[in-house]
Amino acid sequence: MPGHAAAIPQGDLGRVLAQRERRFAAALLAPAFLALLATTTFPLLFLIGTSTFRMDLAMPFADGFVGLENYRTLLADDRFWSSLLVSLIYTGATVVLQVALGLALALLVMDMKRGQGWFRIIAILPVVLSPAVVGMIWRTFMLAPEFGIVDYLAINAGLGSKNWLGDPTLAMVSVVVIHTWQWTPFAFMVLLASLASLPEDIYEAARLDRASAWQRFRRITLPLLRPAIVMVVIMRTMVALTAFAAIFTVTGGGPGTATEILNLYAYRKSFTELSIGYGSALAVALLVVTILISGVLFALRRAK
Amino acid sequence: MSGRGQVRFEDIVKMHGEFAALKGVSFEIEPGEFFALLGPSGSGKSTTLRILAGLDAPSAGRVFIDGQDITAADARDRDIAMVFQSYALYPHMTVYENIAFPLEMARMSKAEIVPAVQEAARKVAIEHLLQRKPGQLSGGQQQRCALARAIVRKARLFLLDEPLSNLDAKLRLETRTELKKLQRSLGVTAVYVTHDQEEAMTLADRMAVFMAGEIQQIGRPADVFARPNSIDVAAFIGSPPMNLIPARYRDGGVEIAGHRLETSLKEAGERDVVVGIRPGAVRIAAGGIPAVVELVEDLGDTAILDLDCQGISIRARVSDGDVPREGTALSITARAADIHLFDATTRRRL
Repeated sequence: MPGHAAAIPQGDLGRVLAQRERRFAAALLAPAFLALLATTTFPLLFLIGTSTFRMDLAMPFADGFVGLENYRTLLADDRFWSSLLVSLIYTGATVVLQVALGLALALLVMDMKRGQGWFRIIAILPVVLSPAVVGMIWRTFMLAPEFGIVDYLAINAGLGSKNWLGDPTLAMVSVVVIHTWQWTPFAFMVLLASLASLPEDIYEAARLDRASAWQRFRRITLPLLRPAIVMVVIMRTMVALTAFAAIFTVTGGGPGTATEILNLYAYRKSFTELSIGYGSALAVALLVVTILISGVLFALRRAK
Repeated sequence: MSGRGQVRFEDIVKMHGEFAALKGVSFEIEPGEFFALLGPSGSGKSTTLRILAGLDAPSAGRVFIDGQDITAADARDRDIAMVFQSYALYPHMTVYENIAFPLEMARMSKAEIVPAVQEAARKVAIEHLLQRKPGQLSGGQQQRCALARAIVRKARLFLLDEPLSNLDAKLRLETRTELKKLQRSLGVTAVYVTHDQEEAMTLADRMAVFMAGEIQQIGRPADVFARPNSIDVAAFIGSPPMNLIPARYRDGGVEIAGHRLETSLKEAGERDVVVGIRPGAVRIAAGGIPAVVELVEDLGDTAILDLDCQGISIRARVSDGDVPREGTALSITARAADIHLFDATTRRRL
């Protein structure tokens, strides 16, 4: 601590040194801070600003400040509500599936005597792929009629060829499955690490206390994994709410608006229909929804 | 509760790959007995306990409880309670929930559980801590909680795996006596693993001394102390350990540092032996083995002398009154009855 006033004979020297140190620290921090401001805070404020304008590239003559008009339109917009619902279904389904499958896999792998390392490496592969690439792979290799692996299996299983991305329900199922496929390994890795850190001896104690395997899972494993599970839910929820690339490449939001999540709707409004102002309002709405849901989840995390 | 908790081990072998952790261990524990498994670390005592608990399976041999072969039975079905060295408390449950857990697993009703938990907590004096989590307890309190969880179920066997090793010295002494009283009042069979010979000596009705995967000696602590049947047991039991001096036996006596000591073994002939004399049995008296005091460790009521007898080092315990100074020359001897003789090659007692 250079600001140790007592050690310095001239009265103000300590204060001067402390001030100099603070200035130096600020100088070191400044570049990163400015870069952050420029790339996150400013665009965010600009987005909020834009959302209060009518900005239609197709009809530039009508542009101008409209205040909350975009938001009023939004609340009355059926397509907004339906895309919000799609977002929530997509998020809920993928997060629940990721946690359930990830936990099941983690429990399975924990008991593997050999090959755990290989399994981890293979399992992590989908995570390192770009969601856009994943979307392309699924659309072409997996779900393409007749030639895609999934459709091929469906035909051989006697279910017949399905229009995986053309049928509204199946398309929704498909995008949920794709997201789950890519991100379950993340939940798996986090939960496996958490599981591996649980002490062995309390399971032995539970066995001697005559708890069955299911009781040991319900009464010991689950409560002890709770912090990790909640953390995974929070992180995956925030990402799923703002998912974009995979759905964009697989269905583009279609058929119709069957898989059009809020993010995609905002994109379509802004860059397909070119009404930037209304698109911005949609993006802000998504931001608000994300903050609200995250807030609830964080409150849940603190609850116990 | 008497008549329950009889244990029999028959030729139990435990292999870890090529390494034999237990090489054919057999013993019996009587109902209501406080039985200690004593030995240095790696001697197989904890493995024995884990096999008894059903946490590990033996590679060969059979385990019986109350005459019933339970070698293949799961830990859940053995009706055994255990206190772990680490306590193994459930960290997310309160003390109350920890103690109640085995009862809940036994599908007891809430009306039965509440008084049972209260009773167990009272026995180990932690009634005031029931709403705390294990993380908020001191080491001693955690240990009591683990004890309460083990006694609440009234299992037929009560296993303790070095339960005192994580406590500080003072608390260890207190808990030791309480443990003994608790076991007596419950009348339950207890199997106690420890590497601390003093704990085994003070607590156990009988004990088995483990060395390198084998039982060296089984008996009452006083008997094992008085008549250790091998050099290893002799060296392990007693503090400070027994003096073990290689010597030549000839017609009833041994020669140490050029001085003859009479022994109680009356056998003609000559052989190489190891002479064992407990530090407390070494007497300072004229006409014995000449020795020089190298070091004095004063323990308050007694003192340990490190003596040099012409190159052989011997430790002696003397009471406080007449502690010689360092550098003093004196002469030591021992009564024939206090001299243990071991065969130098087989290491067994003669």
